[in-house]
Amino acid sequence: MLMDTSDMICDTYPGEMVGREYMENLYGEDMDRVLHSVVKLKNAVIGNNKQKFHMMSLGVVARLLEFIQNERAAVGLRTESAIVLGSLAKGSQANVKRLVDSGVVPILLQCLNNSNLKFVEGCLRCLRSIFTSQAAPVELLYTDPGVVPHMLDIVSQSPTTQECVCSILAQCCKTSEHQGLLYSNGVIESLAPLLASKMYKVQMPALRVFCVITYMNQIVSSAVAAASVAERPLPDLLVELCLRDKSVEMQMSSAKCLTYMCRANALSSQDSKIVYKALPTLIRMCKKDRTLEERVEGAETLAYLIEVDLELQRIASYSDHLIPTLSEFLRYPSTQTTVMDLKRLDYDMKHSHELKAAALMAFASLGANDEDIRKKIIETENLMDHVVCGLSDPVVRVRLAAVRCLHSLSRSVQQLRTSFQDHAVWKPLMKLLQNADDDMLTVASSTLCNLLLEFSPSKEPMLESGAVDLLCDLTKRDDPALRLNGIWALMNMAFQVETKNMAFQAEQKVKSQILAALGTDQLFKLLSDPDVNVLMKTLGLLRNLLSNKPHIDHIMGMHGQQIMQAIVLILEGEHTIEVKEQTLCILANISDGTTAKDFIMANDDVLKKITNYMIHANVRLQIAATFCISNLVWNEEEGALERQMKLRDMGVQKLLQQLLSSSDTVLFDKVKTALQQFT
Amino acid sequence: MSFTEKHEEISKQEWMDRLNSLHISRADMNRLIMNYLVTGEFSSGSSEGFKEAAEKFRVEAGIPMNMDTESLDERIKIRDAIQKGEIEEAMALVNNLHPELLDDNRYLYFHLQQQHLIELIRKKDVEGALQYAQTHLAERGEENADVLNELEKTLALLAFENPEDSPFGELLHPSQRQKVASELNSAILEVENRESTPKLANMLKLLLWAQHELDQKKVKYPHMTDLAKGEIEDPK
Repeated sequence: MLMDTSDMICDTYPGEMVGREYMENLYGEDMDRVLHSVVKLKNAVIGNNKQKFHMMSLGVVARLLEFIQNERAAVGLRTESAIVLGSLAKGSQANVKRLVDSGVVPILLQCLNNSNLKFVEGCLRCLRSIFTSQAAPVELLYTDPGVVPHMLDIVSQSPTTQECVCSILAQCCKTSEHQGLLYSNGVIESLAPLLASKMYKVQMPALRVFCVITYMNQIVSSAVAAASVAERPLPDLLVELCLRDKSVEMQMSSAKCLTYMCRANALSSQDSKIVYKALPTLIRMCKKDRTLEERVEGAETLAYLIEVDLELQRIASYSDHLIPTLSEFLRYPSTQTTVMDLKRLDYDMKHSHELKAAALMAFASLGANDEDIRKKIIETENLMDHVVCGLSDPVVRVRLAAVRCLHSLSRSVQQLRTSFQDHAVWKPLMKLLQNADDDMLTVASSTLCNLLLEFSPSKEPMLESGAVDLLCDLTKRDDPALRLNGIWALMNMAFQVETKNMAFQAEQKVKSQILAALGTDQLFKLLSDPDVNVLMKTLGLLRNLLSNKPHIDHIMGMHGQQIMQAIVLILEGEHTIEVKEQTLCILANISDGTTAKDFIMANDDVLKKITNYMIHANVRLQIAATFCISNLVWNEEEGALERQMKLRDMGVQKLLQQLLSSSDTVLFDKVKTALQQFT
Repeated sequence: MSFTEKHEEISKQEWMDRLNSLHISRADMNRLIMNYLVTGEFSSGSSEGFKEAAEKFRVEAGIPMNMDTESLDERIKIRDAIQKGEIEEAMALVNNLHPELLDDNRYLYFHLQQQHLIELIRKKDVEGALQYAQTHLAERGEENADVLNELEKTLALLAFENPEDSPFGELLHPSQRQKVASELNSAILEVENRESTPKLANMLKLLLWAQHELDQKKVKYPHMTDLAKGEIEDPK
């Protein structure tokens, strides 16, 4: 047990005289006496943090480093010196930092080139203790490019070299560059046999190395999947390490490794190793009898494993009471928690937010794709309350997890109409949006988008809390994902459910507010957005704005010119069929208005384009164009006769008669309807 | 699997027949004995005695030299030092053998230091004991509340004219040295990735467990009730 004792310097420290004696003896001529002193020093500092600190203050490190670096010094002296440094590295965190600052690491790394095994082991042990501490100077491992290859060379010399090299590499592989470096130096070949070692203290660090090198790395993961040890495929070996007779940390690490390999596409998500070993292991790690850290790690890894696979989500959702188990996380600590000891309880209380975040992440993954699962999650007692609370949690990690969870659940149309109303999720969500960083913003705005899909009375208050301005701001961002979310949400907001006739006033207010906040300039800028998805949703917004007669006339009355301009631009530009179709639908909506019809009729260019689209190769465009014509010639409308005349002169009636021969039933119906209007 | 549980009755003869049909090789038995002699608890007699016995047995039984005896010499020296009350000598030996052990096991280290303190008290070196406690043991107490408790008990010995007769007198008993020696020995074996209990002990535990399981299921069979004699009784 390494406790972090305070490094208090006692003025009348009893060991002071003794310490000075040690120091003096280290500078003697008689090498035997010097060695003897180093051994005495070693015995004095082992197990004693205060002595470690004290000796370091007297400057013993520099002297020891001299011995270590001196190639002509006796190897016994160099080894004992390294061992003393190793002991110093097992003191308090502050001690370790001081060691690092004294320049110990590069020297010890250099000494690994020595041929004496005991000396090398002494150096490695010290390095291992330093690199596994909080003050680990990870980058120093990579300063000299020869170090890592050499370490992998010497790894198999003894159990000590095995244990130490693996521990160091497991702690120092932090980036994809590091992963690449280890891979190109043959880390897999060198360390795979160690996974089958009979010594736990070798096996465990080796396993950790495989975890860190496979994380989000397809090349390494694939290589690991293809590797073997004594003709046994490595993945099979990993599965063995998942079995229940192994320690919890071993089960967790091997499940993690398999998870990473699966997400990196080196193992299929339907592979039995994933479905019947990794997944159940992770679910087991979430159980009540595990420590807080184990449960957090288990849930987080589980969330990662099933994140993008529907089948795994399904299996997980009905495995081993997972959902109730996870919802316990949200209630932690509860009456069901067994108190093991006060220290543990204190720690757990401080870290309960990690449990909450982990559970929410797991729920987010579970409910990502399947409606039944979402239902199950939402019906879990008090769960929605916890999610909503999570949105305003003081810890940002929890808030982000809560939003992701909400996002997954908001994909359920049914839930949108029911439980989200009850829980007023939009309030804390709006608050979140106001101060969100980009990660949060993307997920939160996607969620808002979904929430706005369904007409509900809560839209009013949303308007009042500044949702429209916020969304309009999003449409101005550089990130196309954010622009998309912004415009999509606005589009949903403007969507009107036809049957709610009481809503007329409210909806008009919403639409006006959107237009006013967005501004026609921004709207038209979005109509020429480089991202086609943004463009489509902008067109969608426009279509929604122009979706009933009074609105159409009103809006065209204010912005008709510009809208027509924009439409022409798009019809003339290089765009996909979907974009053109949307645009024609907008024209069709405009042609449904009363006064708005004039905008089209007065524009010969537009009329010509519509007639062209009537005979376009793509039937969807034909349908849209015909619909437009149909509205224009509708004989119940005032001025129908004049419009029919003009269009007849343009040859529209003839075109319609031609189209009667179409095999498409939708088109045929539209054409017939249009023709019937002509008197 | 049958739907109804049939509790079969089995006679002692049949049971013995079944047992005798199982073959345990001599080589396996020899290895078990060898393992017992070199591992863990050296209960009585001098350790040197055990070591001699182990070596003789090894030669007689023709067991190849293996890792089991590797650190045996050192472990015997360490145990001997503790038995003689030379704790600092023992600590120096351990630090030579496994320099990280005491750093990694502070509670064990405390027990060794405590033992040294006890030895000083036994020699009636009051000043030495106090100084040692102040220099070395105060730190331990800060790290761990249990330690503080044990430390207080040990120091309390100094308050008595005849500490052996005090309420904490058992600390001066030779069995206390035994305890510390065993604790240290186990720690060493663990670091060397060896089990600290002989495999023979595990086998006996397995036997007892198996009998317990059968008893739970109310199966009637001949029990081995006296492990020392290894005799099997008639089923009751």
